[in-house]
Amino acid sequence: MSSAISVRHLTKDFRIGIRGLKLRAVDDVSLEIPRGQVFGLLGPNGCGKSTTLKIVLGLVSATAGEISILGEPSATSSARRRTGFLPEAPYFHKFLSGRELVRYCAQLSGVADADVDAAVEDALGLAAMTEAADRTIGTYSKGMLQRIGFAQAVVHDPELVILDEPTAGVDPVGSAAIGRMIHAMREKGKTVVLCSHLLGQVEQVCDRVAIMDRGKLVLEGAVDDVLARRDRHVMTVEAMTPAARAAAEAALAAHGAKVASVTHPRRSLEDLFRELVTGSRDA
Amino acid sequence: MKASLRRMLWISRITFLEAVRQRFFAFLLVLSAAMVLSSVSFRVFDFGHGELKFIADFGFGGMFFFGSVLAVVMTAQLFFSEIDNRTALTLLAKPLSRAEFLLGKFCGAWAVLGVFVVVLAALQGTVLWAREQELLSLADPAAKLAPAFNLEGLLQLVLLQWLRLGVVISIVLAISALARTFLFAVVVGALAVVAGQLQWIAQDAFLRPTDSQLYAAFLWVSTRVIPNLQQFNLADALVLGSTGVDDGAILVVVLSGLAYLLAYLTLGSLIFRRREI
Repeated sequence: MSSAISVRHLTKDFRIGIRGLKLRAVDDVSLEIPRGQVFGLLGPNGCGKSTTLKIVLGLVSATAGEISILGEPSATSSARRRTGFLPEAPYFHKFLSGRELVRYCAQLSGVADADVDAAVEDALGLAAMTEAADRTIGTYSKGMLQRIGFAQAVVHDPELVILDEPTAGVDPVGSAAIGRMIHAMREKGKTVVLCSHLLGQVEQVCDRVAIMDRGKLVLEGAVDDVLARRDRHVMTVEAMTPAARAAAEAALAAHGAKVASVTHPRRSLEDLFRELVTGSRDA
Repeated sequence: MKASLRRMLWISRITFLEAVRQRFFAFLLVLSAAMVLSSVSFRVFDFGHGELKFIADFGFGGMFFFGSVLAVVMTAQLFFSEIDNRTALTLLAKPLSRAEFLLGKFCGAWAVLGVFVVVLAALQGTVLWAREQELLSLADPAAKLAPAFNLEGLLQLVLLQWLRLGVVISIVLAISALARTFLFAVVVGALAVVAGQLQWIAQDAFLRPTDSQLYAAFLWVSTRVIPNLQQFNLADALVLGSTGVDDGAILVVVLSGLAYLLAYLTLGSLIFRRREI
């Protein structure tokens, strides 16, 4: 089976100014994103990740390289029919209600007339936006905008969903809600490509990650593989007394192992925040 | 084909809704309507023409002018709002071609201008008809004056003006597809309208013999690239003309307008296809 996204030797130069100076935004990037996984594309601002996604979607042309989506050349209408996209900081027509927007996007995405109502309700339900669907978009909070953006991206039941900074500017509760939507997409067998600065969230939801820097791909692999330090081990011990610790260190030393550090495990601030701030779903 | 048409209709529907919500549209509509209605109170002025002709010139002049302003500014604004607010990113990532997007924008803007022209023409027609009835009742019955106001001519004028504004919209969309800023699109679009209004001068010059091949070539290109927008201004002859206008002449104007409209939409689609969003 072909990859969800296959990028081969992708290069993109932008011409700047009257003299046409070249700025290389993407530099010979090759990438295979397998189907059915959540893939995180990471990197600092200006590293070329959003440009890469735009090229994949046909919004920007490549200077060189080949891209295919689900086995089809990218930028074709049929490839885009199987793809959903949530851009960074999405903006929608404020005079439309959430339901009207999702219906509009369903129509543009080729959902059959007979299936539009059900598709709209499913997408609104998945994005937890059913209750607010009849309010105009101008009244939505940032988190709700992201969620209605997610709903419009998945209304046509795409096989591949591309999310560009879906949690930018969203508080941890809203961010967790988007994380749940991503999990739901993975459970349905969809491929999700996630571009994000929230490394903690990427670590939690992604199966594989790639890191870009200055237009180049500097690392790509399964999250567990790239993060694990195979030469180190962590044991979590309850009720350890100083004597027990000394005995454990001596026992390890007898086998040539050395205790590098002993610390107390910490929960993340995000986990603490989510534990304390509950009940609010409208970020 | 059906799916493509459906996508275009949805784009045009949203474009129409966005446009009619703009204060700019409401402002120009009210201003033009006020101009048409106020023309009745100016009948004390006499510029050497008949009163009905003055009312018609004043009212239709407002329609031509403000219609052009609306066609240029509103079309550029509707296009650049999608680009600058990045709603175009969301839409063009869907199975929607650039040509469908542009044609949808065109249809939405053209529909708004259709409402503008119909509302103003209805007002202008009512004003002309009412004043004519008033004047006829005051006239000596023995003179047996024939009514000058022609409703059929007014309908033809509505269609011609709508077509003229369609040509302007298509030009502005082609310019917007190329332009990087809203201001550039508005300025160049406005210049194109002015050039279109003065195109007949180039046509006249082209018919005169000249020794310069370069000048002749320039005139030839100008008269073909720039549509003659003046040819749509047949208000007097159509609405108040006793003899009317030959159907063949109107057909030529319509075909010419449609040809320019299609040519500029095609050009705009080709330019927009290569644009990076």
